[in-house]
Amino acid sequence: MNELLLNLFYVLVFPGLLFCILMGILLAGLDRVWVARMQRRVGPPLLQPWYDFLKCCGKETIVPRHAKKAVYFAAPVIGFVALMTISLFLPVVNGRAAFSGTADLVVILYLLTLVSVCMMVGASATGSPFAGVGLSREMVAMISYELPFVLVILAVSRATLSYDAGTGMPLTFSLQAIMEYQEANGPLITHWSLIPAAIAMLFVIPCEVGMHPFDVSEAETEICEGTLAEYSGPPLAVYKLTHMVKMYIMTALFCVLFLGGLTTGILFFDVVIFILVCALLTFVTMSLPHAVCARFKTEQVFKFYWTVVAGLAAVSMILVWLGL
Amino acid sequence: MFEKLIDNSMAKSPWIFHINAGSCNGCDIELVSVLTPRYDAERLGFKLTGTPRQADIVVVSGPITVQTRDRLVRTLAQVPEPRVVVSLGSCPRSGNVFKGSYAIDGPLEKYTHVDVSVGGCTPKPEAIMAALAQAAQILAEKRKEMRK
Repeated sequence: MNELLLNLFYVLVFPGLLFCILMGILLAGLDRVWVARMQRRVGPPLLQPWYDFLKCCGKETIVPRHAKKAVYFAAPVIGFVALMTISLFLPVVNGRAAFSGTADLVVILYLLTLVSVCMMVGASATGSPFAGVGLSREMVAMISYELPFVLVILAVSRATLSYDAGTGMPLTFSLQAIMEYQEANGPLITHWSLIPAAIAMLFVIPCEVGMHPFDVSEAETEICEGTLAEYSGPPLAVYKLTHMVKMYIMTALFCVLFLGGLTTGILFFDVVIFILVCALLTFVTMSLPHAVCARFKTEQVFKFYWTVVAGLAAVSMILVWLGL
Repeated sequence: MFEKLIDNSMAKSPWIFHINAGSCNGCDIELVSVLTPRYDAERLGFKLTGTPRQADIVVVSGPITVQTRDRLVRTLAQVPEPRVVVSLGSCPRSGNVFKGSYAIDGPLEKYTHVDVSVGGCTPKPEAIMAALAQAAQILAEKRKEMRK
């Protein structure tokens, strides 16, 4: 009984639903305010993403005539639930995840893909040509960031074992093991051979989230919001919420992979520091490029990620596998 | 309680969709200046969307040329309720200097209910700002009426 209640607490309050949504709204709001300040504007209130979400909930949903109704409504919800599930695998505070397994990093990789795939399936179910263009672009964006992302994960998972006495397996995909390693040996970002991987991961974050310079699939001025072109009302609200929560999940994943193991010993301060680091990462990886860059073309995104970012990640991986 | 939250946030997050119905671009530029740093409509939550499906406020500029008429009607039909229509400048209101031309089929009132109308050729950004703020209030009222 107690265990059930505890699990419910994990899923619904912390680090699950409630915490994710609060963090998502906070980070998205901060992002909008920061971008506005950098463009010398006053900017919207901090809670603007929350107002947007509520407003979308209160609007009428128009389902296009050619749309596949069941998929149209199910896709955003499945994507959101998949994203929520990731939060349960992240050992964010005090180094313990709600659920942990031997290969949770692989699960996270697949769940993140599922979120994008749900978006694509939903877009294709609307039958709109704009959504079709958005869907193909989203696919290219996904291929672009998946390669460096996987290389980064390979580098990290090898690094956490290469210093230890080997356990027989050449690498570990357990976030728990990565966390424990960092608790013993300091955060992974302090290892010089992993710094290129950390930089590559910083580049992966905005593309994975779909933030401005890399938002090729939702280019609102060219292809009418692309994948979201036919969505309105509550399903759109769920998509917006997914986008916000993804900002939190990706920054938290960076914290876990590269900045783990640091603790002050007091839970409250740990949580505050964690939130501050997430906000800082949001500023560096999302707000700054948003305010500085114009949107990339699809092929530019692809080229950039497969040369520069994948190159950085590959350098790191080779160094780590050589045992440096 | 959730309904009440939605009611309150309706006026705080109105997204704009802009339809150019044969405008000379003057009003369009003034609308853009409302959204850019100097007047910064985003501080009131306004945002320009790319698709009518996500719009709350539809801003129409131009004298409704015969070419754009059908597209205008179709686009307006795609905006989900509650929605507010703002006519921008003198053209959609009266036809302005194009009145009587064979090429135009205005005014905008013929096709939809206009909630807020801004006069001027072109209207000042301050006037557009005031009209948009008023439109946001009307949006919230419409939402309350819809619930009844």
